[in-house]
Amino acid sequence: MFGMRLSVVGTVFLLLFGVLLLRLWDFQLVSAQEYREQVDLNLVRFVQTPAPRGEILDTHGELIAGNRPALAAVVQGALLPSAADDDLLVQRLSTFSGIEMSEVSEILETARNRGDQITIVDELSSSQAVYLVERDELFPGISVVPHPIRVYHGAILAPHVTGFIGRPTALDLERADILPQDLLGKAGVEREYDALLRGTPGLIKYQANAQGNILQTLGEQLPTPGSSLILELDLGIQQVLTTALLQGLQSARLVYAPGGCQQGGNDPGCPVRAVGVVLRVSDGAVLAMSSVPDFNPNIFVEGISQAELDAMPDGVLTNFAIQGEYAPASTFKAITYVTAFENDLLPRAESFLEIPKTREPTLDDEIQCSPQLRADFTDQSQLVWRNWKRSDDGPQDIHRAFVRSCNIYFWDIALNLWDIHKGTEAESQLQDWARELGMGSRTGIDLPFESSGIIPDRELFEQWATEQESGGPKRLAATRLELASPWLGGDLLQAAVGQGSVLVTPLQLATAYAALVNGGTVWEPRIVNRIEDADGGIVFINTPRVANSIEIAPGTILQLRRDLQQVVNSQEGTAAGAFDFFGPNRELIGGKTGTAQVIRERKGGDRPDVEGVNTAIFSGIAPIENPEWVVVIVIERGGSGGAVAAPTAVPVLQYLLNGPTFVRDVQVGLEFLD
Amino acid sequence: MALTARRVEPVALLQRDRPLRPDLMLILAYMTLSAVGIVMVYSASAPRLEAFGLDPGSQMRRHAVFVVIGVVVFVATSTISGRALRGMSPFVYGLSLAALVLVLFAPARAGVNRWLDLGPFQLQPSEFAKPALILILALLLSSAEEHLDLSYIFRAIPFVVAPALLTFLQPDLGTMLVFGFIALTMLFIAGATWRQFTCLVISAIVLAIALFQVGALRDYQLTRLTAFLDSAADAGSTALYNQYQSEITIGSGGVLGKGLFQGTQTNLSYVPAQTTDFIFTAVGEQLGFVGGTIVIMLYVVLVWRILVAAGSRRDRFSRLITVGVASLLVFHVFINIGMTLRLMPVTGLPLPFLSAGGSAFIAMSAALGLVHSIWMRRSPVPE
Repeated sequence: MFGMRLSVVGTVFLLLFGVLLLRLWDFQLVSAQEYREQVDLNLVRFVQTPAPRGEILDTHGELIAGNRPALAAVVQGALLPSAADDDLLVQRLSTFSGIEMSEVSEILETARNRGDQITIVDELSSSQAVYLVERDELFPGISVVPHPIRVYHGAILAPHVTGFIGRPTALDLERADILPQDLLGKAGVEREYDALLRGTPGLIKYQANAQGNILQTLGEQLPTPGSSLILELDLGIQQVLTTALLQGLQSARLVYAPGGCQQGGNDPGCPVRAVGVVLRVSDGAVLAMSSVPDFNPNIFVEGISQAELDAMPDGVLTNFAIQGEYAPASTFKAITYVTAFENDLLPRAESFLEIPKTREPTLDDEIQCSPQLRADFTDQSQLVWRNWKRSDDGPQDIHRAFVRSCNIYFWDIALNLWDIHKGTEAESQLQDWARELGMGSRTGIDLPFESSGIIPDRELFEQWATEQESGGPKRLAATRLELASPWLGGDLLQAAVGQGSVLVTPLQLATAYAALVNGGTVWEPRIVNRIEDADGGIVFINTPRVANSIEIAPGTILQLRRDLQQVVNSQEGTAAGAFDFFGPNRELIGGKTGTAQVIRERKGGDRPDVEGVNTAIFSGIAPIENPEWVVVIVIERGGSGGAVAAPTAVPVLQYLLNGPTFVRDVQVGLEFLD
Repeated sequence: MALTARRVEPVALLQRDRPLRPDLMLILAYMTLSAVGIVMVYSASAPRLEAFGLDPGSQMRRHAVFVVIGVVVFVATSTISGRALRGMSPFVYGLSLAALVLVLFAPARAGVNRWLDLGPFQLQPSEFAKPALILILALLLSSAEEHLDLSYIFRAIPFVVAPALLTFLQPDLGTMLVFGFIALTMLFIAGATWRQFTCLVISAIVLAIALFQVGALRDYQLTRLTAFLDSAADAGSTALYNQYQSEITIGSGGVLGKGLFQGTQTNLSYVPAQTTDFIFTAVGEQLGFVGGTIVIMLYVVLVWRILVAAGSRRDRFSRLITVGVASLLVFHVFINIGMTLRLMPVTGLPLPFLSAGGSAFIAMSAALGLVHSIWMRRSPVPE
């Protein structure tokens, strides 16, 4: 029996050896070539060299964002020695950089695991760089690499347009071309054109051993610098606009509370921000865009802590010119105005004063601009509609009503429209015009995060109601959901004067005004003019694009221009006071004021005569006969359009029409002018 | 005559009526493997030592000293008679258990209690526990009949469990498995019925799974095992990296290898523990399929000679020792080379006579010496 068992054991043992030999055969004879290739790969290490980021220049070639050469100390994960030898390195690096040992060792671990590079010191002093280079044997896996650092020059005046850069988020990293050490555009054109700005990093191919000791350099591919953006932005206009916005906001705050109100505090009446856009009428080029309070994008280059971020005023990073949605208020009357002329809409027949029986009334006929209008709605709409002016403003035709910003006239038109067309497709012809002019949808500007605004109508309200009933956001009063349709006559009246649910971005307002005065061409707004590579070759030309062409009768446009001019130049125009000390060429300016009610009752503040909290809006055009520029100013919770927003536009228009020497400080008015 | 007899007895160990006949084949295989070991240890350690500005031959010389000690131990154990061995067995086993207990209270290195610090040397008691277990099991089972009584199996179990448990606490999973494999092989040879044997194998497997489930395994052991079982589990895990490096290193060796001292992988230290657990990768890369096959064939020769020695003796004690040593050798070789060829998980068992490491070499030489002593005292009748 022993002999038999011994043979069993011997056979099993022999089989085990056979298995080993077969496996060895498979490895070394069958798959040897494959393994050799993998081994070759094993010995080669790639180290990236960063590409300088493309520059950002204004329309005159003035530098907005550039780079400053610097040297950084980076941990090359691919070249780090094995973890067991970390202790000394961690100690040395910690002493060298002043970073905690635990943190250093974490960085090493991460770099090793990912096999890529992590910057440990952003900007080395030259003595630090020399120290590292001379003692590289003490710092295996640590190299000194060129590390161009982003610098924003003029961008202090246009941080929302240029944006800023930062480390990629987890989401960014899902993209194959993004590495953790990359800096990405986080906002503005830095984000929009990130791929072109970033360029292609260079690559150095090393042969190395497992300790990370470089045996030799096998090849080097130089980085391709990123392309440069040449913007439409004009830093001259941008500076005047930003300064005016700051002054306008400051003045509005002083008017609200002479001691200055709590900025960003709990006071809902305190003016919070000022937003401005300057657009070229003829092609949609954005010449200036600003939102204050703003920020210095350079703070993001070095990295910013959460605490620092929290300390910034609310929404400071947001580009309100394209992300802020505001009720356009009376500036929307220009759209109601054009709709009335083009679609032959009139106030109700009974509203007209003294019409000869021989002819039909027209928009040139007068109605009484009473302090209030009574509407005989049978739905739940409000029945008494009060004009912004508490006293009777006299008999007015549409032109005077536009210049005086009389709500009554425009409400009467809307009331008539409702009476005739409610429930039909024609009931939303006003909103159709607004949409044709680009409101209610994104303009398509080459900046990220644009908002679309809202142009409400029955369809939208019914959609909201459906969503609300199935647990969606509560956008409508609960009582409306019980009605046959949530869209009411009162909603149309609100829309006719740019209130209620109508919301537009300052850029949309500027785009629509440009189209109204240029004859009906809606241009897609553009920030970038062209993109050039490092050698000056054209990479991309951002040709102006027509978003929409609207047919508007030339007569209507001429009349609108004249009435816009009157708003600024007639004694009774709502913006007239603001332009009293404009200087030469005032007659070339047209515009429309708007005052959007934000809070009905106003608590606190030193102006008990003014009801509620209002956002001030002004849309100015110059020269009005041959329009070149649209300037839109929005001062959120700043007061009335005529008293606060129009004066803020003054320095910008002075600069555009008369040149820098004519620019005056902003002088806000005290009288409430819609 | 009585006086004469009393006078002769003390030297009976050395002066026998029959001359000792050494197994030259076994000695040749043993010496060749040891020599290959010294060369490979040098090849695998010199570049790295040189890179740090140290004497490139230092690790090789240290290993060579152990080889010399090991050979002396081999010669010494070859001279021990069977009777003396029987007497020594309980003491050797007791001593090894004591050392295994002691090592648990010694300062840990790299998170494990595996070494006893003896000044210039670090003793690894678990290596010596392996031949000790063979001795005590041989002693126990040799008194059994041809067909193993169940009571013997029950008596054998505590002798196996004690060192297995102690090494498990170190923790040293590989060595624990060695004890199990030796015990199973010896019980089989001792005449356990097929049913008994099957039950033992099944309970060993159940026990292994239970340890797994209870989470008694340390994290790194689990990682090694799971990384082996599921290669997609964590591509970044060290265990998998090590095995991957080992695999491509051996594979890239091809038929003839890259030439001695020409290993790009081993010389550049991509392969971990290349002088100890992964020494076979150096062989595979530098000496290729031919070299690897020769090394494996040398082990086949050793095992063959040991099994021949087993067949040369009639007494159960000798037979059990020889088969025990054969199983010890086979298990180490198969697990170690299998690990470098990604057939087996990473367990940290040295490759006998090749891996750098004094305790393992000396203990293995002692075990081989026991076999050799048994061979040399075989009956003159050819088998």
